[in-house]
Amino acid sequence: MSSPSWFEASARQRVKEMLDQDSFVEFIGPEQRETSPHLSLFDLPEQFDDGMIVGRGLLDGKPVFIAAQEGRFMGGAFGEVHGAKLTGLLRAARDVGSIPVVILFDTGGVRLQEANAGELAIAEIMRAVVEARLAGVPVVGLVGGRAGCYGGGGLTAGSCSALAVSEQGRISVSGPEVIETNRGVEEFDSKDRALVWRTMGGKQRYLIGGADVFADDTVASFRDAARYVIEHAAALDLDTLQAEQVRLEQRIERFGACADAIDIWRSMGAADPQSLPGMAFEDFVALADGLKETRHVAR
Amino acid sequence: MTVWDSGRIARASRLQAGARYAKGKHVARKDATALLEAVIQPGDRVCIEGDNQKQADMLAAALAAADSGKLHDLHMVQSGVVLPEHLDIFERGIARRLDYAFSGPQSQRIARLLFGGKIELGAVHTYLELFARYFIDLTPQVALIAAVSADREGNLYTGPNTEDTPAIVEATAFKDGIVIAQVNEVVDKLPRIDIPSDWVNYVIESDKPFYVEPLFTRDPAAITETQILTAMLAIKGIYAPYGVQRLNHGIGFNTAAIELLLPTYGERLGLKGKVASYWALNPHPTLIPAIESGWVKQIHSFGSEVGMDDYIRARSDVYFTGPDGSLRSNRAFSQVAGLYACDMFIGSTLQIDLQGNSSTVTTDRVAGFGGAPNMGSDARGRRHPSEPWLRAGKEADPDSPALMRRGRKLVVQIGETFGDKNVPLFVEHLDAIELARKLDLDLAPVMVYGDDVTHIVTEEGIANLLLCRDNDEREQAIRGVAGYTAIGRARDAKMVQRLRERGVIRRPEDLGIDPLDADRRMLAASSIKDLVRWSGGLYAPPSRFRNW
Repeated sequence: MSSPSWFEASARQRVKEMLDQDSFVEFIGPEQRETSPHLSLFDLPEQFDDGMIVGRGLLDGKPVFIAAQEGRFMGGAFGEVHGAKLTGLLRAARDVGSIPVVILFDTGGVRLQEANAGELAIAEIMRAVVEARLAGVPVVGLVGGRAGCYGGGGLTAGSCSALAVSEQGRISVSGPEVIETNRGVEEFDSKDRALVWRTMGGKQRYLIGGADVFADDTVASFRDAARYVIEHAAALDLDTLQAEQVRLEQRIERFGACADAIDIWRSMGAADPQSLPGMAFEDFVALADGLKETRHVAR
Repeated sequence: MTVWDSGRIARASRLQAGARYAKGKHVARKDATALLEAVIQPGDRVCIEGDNQKQADMLAAALAAADSGKLHDLHMVQSGVVLPEHLDIFERGIARRLDYAFSGPQSQRIARLLFGGKIELGAVHTYLELFARYFIDLTPQVALIAAVSADREGNLYTGPNTEDTPAIVEATAFKDGIVIAQVNEVVDKLPRIDIPSDWVNYVIESDKPFYVEPLFTRDPAAITETQILTAMLAIKGIYAPYGVQRLNHGIGFNTAAIELLLPTYGERLGLKGKVASYWALNPHPTLIPAIESGWVKQIHSFGSEVGMDDYIRARSDVYFTGPDGSLRSNRAFSQVAGLYACDMFIGSTLQIDLQGNSSTVTTDRVAGFGGAPNMGSDARGRRHPSEPWLRAGKEADPDSPALMRRGRKLVVQIGETFGDKNVPLFVEHLDAIELARKLDLDLAPVMVYGDDVTHIVTEEGIANLLLCRDNDEREQAIRGVAGYTAIGRARDAKMVQRLRERGVIRRPEDLGIDPLDADRRMLAASSIKDLVRWSGGLYAPPSRFRNW
């Protein structure tokens, strides 16, 4: 049987199928009913795991900490409990010091109904990511779910050691609707999904170095990608940060004048940039690896 | 002395007034408004072509820019009130009276203008009804239509989105009216002639192609498991037992789920070739997997669908196409086909009351009907038998002698007990009644009347209203599938149990369906990209539906 679609799978299915069989042990599982203290005030449905699954398991026999957001519950948005579970996992990883963390992002950002708690959660999570990385723990992110990886999720992903993304995945801070609302439809038409995907989607993010590995939309492919990025995660030190600064400066210099992703791909040397979004996985990987832009070697 | 050709004389003088802007039949874009001011007269009945899909948008804008001192008190007789310009002409005092059939995006603004008295409403029609009135008492004096291309003589190619054009032009051109066409381009040779030049008086080349809304594209990625469950219930509980071969689907996600389950769930039930072979249907992208799997014999379409042109061209055994290879749609004929030659209509709605009446209007939105009431009604003039029709008739009236018994069309309403934003599908009273009171209408805008509805499908099961013998049973059958809505919770549990024993209500388990089997993995395609793959790359979805 072929590996199930990552995009279609629930957070629980992703965790279960990605780790070695029966190896997953959940922390603060749904049976503990740690639900949001805020949603009931708005007469909104709660979920017993608050849309965040955390625990430990084995990936190819090696231990990992894992966190997964359920994009189908409130768009995977960060709330107080949701965020605290991830913060706790990251701090545990920092204290243990040797077990990498895999975060399965699927989020629209902070939950508006618990905005302050959610924003605080993002700050705590980013700090915890940095502390874990300073303790020598790789923290890697996988992006390929329905909700994408937006808002505080995008910021947290940017703090990770390395990222893997699929074509379906989107990584950004401001979402398409937010940009359109603030800057007008002429600036960004959020209903033009092809525009959204070529601007924030997995292919574009991979090509410009916003993600380190391009995965196919299967659990098996994300599993391979996770293994790879854990092994190749850069240490968080001054050299890494300086290299990243240089890379970003070069990127803005090279592509800052481009009005559209198509222009970027053309200037990178893609012969037929229009055909890139429709390209199948293998063809795209072959093309992308031939293009000149530096990979995301540093973070 | 009696004059018997006043209409012809009037047409001649209109043509004379317009002649100064025309070279032959061709008029420049910049003179569009001046032409309209010259040939239209105050008080005229005017049709701007436009429905839920194509729009004569350039001509609508040209009319909206007219001087209301010259053009006023027009009576608009048109299928769709869809573009802002369609209402601008009322706000600016160019038009006063309105007879129409459909308004999607403008439904809120049209309600405001009705309440504000800016629009004098004739009636809200179905498409077919309005076309019918074009030939009786609402014949347009001027029709503003849209075509893909024209040649030098003024012959028109309306192409895949022919839709309403033939009905409008027929009524106007043959009753002394003026036909003005906007075209995307003027060419030397047309791919085919859809409207002959002597029915057309003026042609204006537009600065951009006429607008077409991809109204029938449903992204499989947005189909929920509850919708899949309702689709399984419909297939196993209605399509299979009645053997429904000829049908029409609505445009909602529940019916899109059915389309995507035919090649998987339907195949497993052994239904291929036995159900869903002949369709009155727009070219729904979600039907591609069923077509590719050999389920579909023939489809006649009301209009086309954006991105489907190449696929249709390559599947001429399935679709109606011209000698040039492209689709020929025709809304009037397809509506007639849906009314008389289909054994089933299945579609979703926003509200269903305790009698089974349904409506898509709410108190601040007047959406109109489009074609659903024609599809979703029993054709009392039907005389040809078919198995589902006879069987439905027998269920409704088991005691009459077979030779004298009318059949019944299956009219199925499908939906979740709680719809979008958790709004209950079932209500005590339709908002349509409140709206009719507020607007002082003679008739509440009911989409499908309860006495035409034969089945209601929700995730709770199927209510077969044909088997109900009185109003009480009918009410309890509806409450019985209304789940946890207020209507559902007020059911008489004992009576619902009795109805279930009689097969009036059938729960998923009564049909051997495990709700946990309703899984997205059962869909033949789970994304728009899957549909492109199924089509062998022939389907080219519009940019707003691509997540790549």
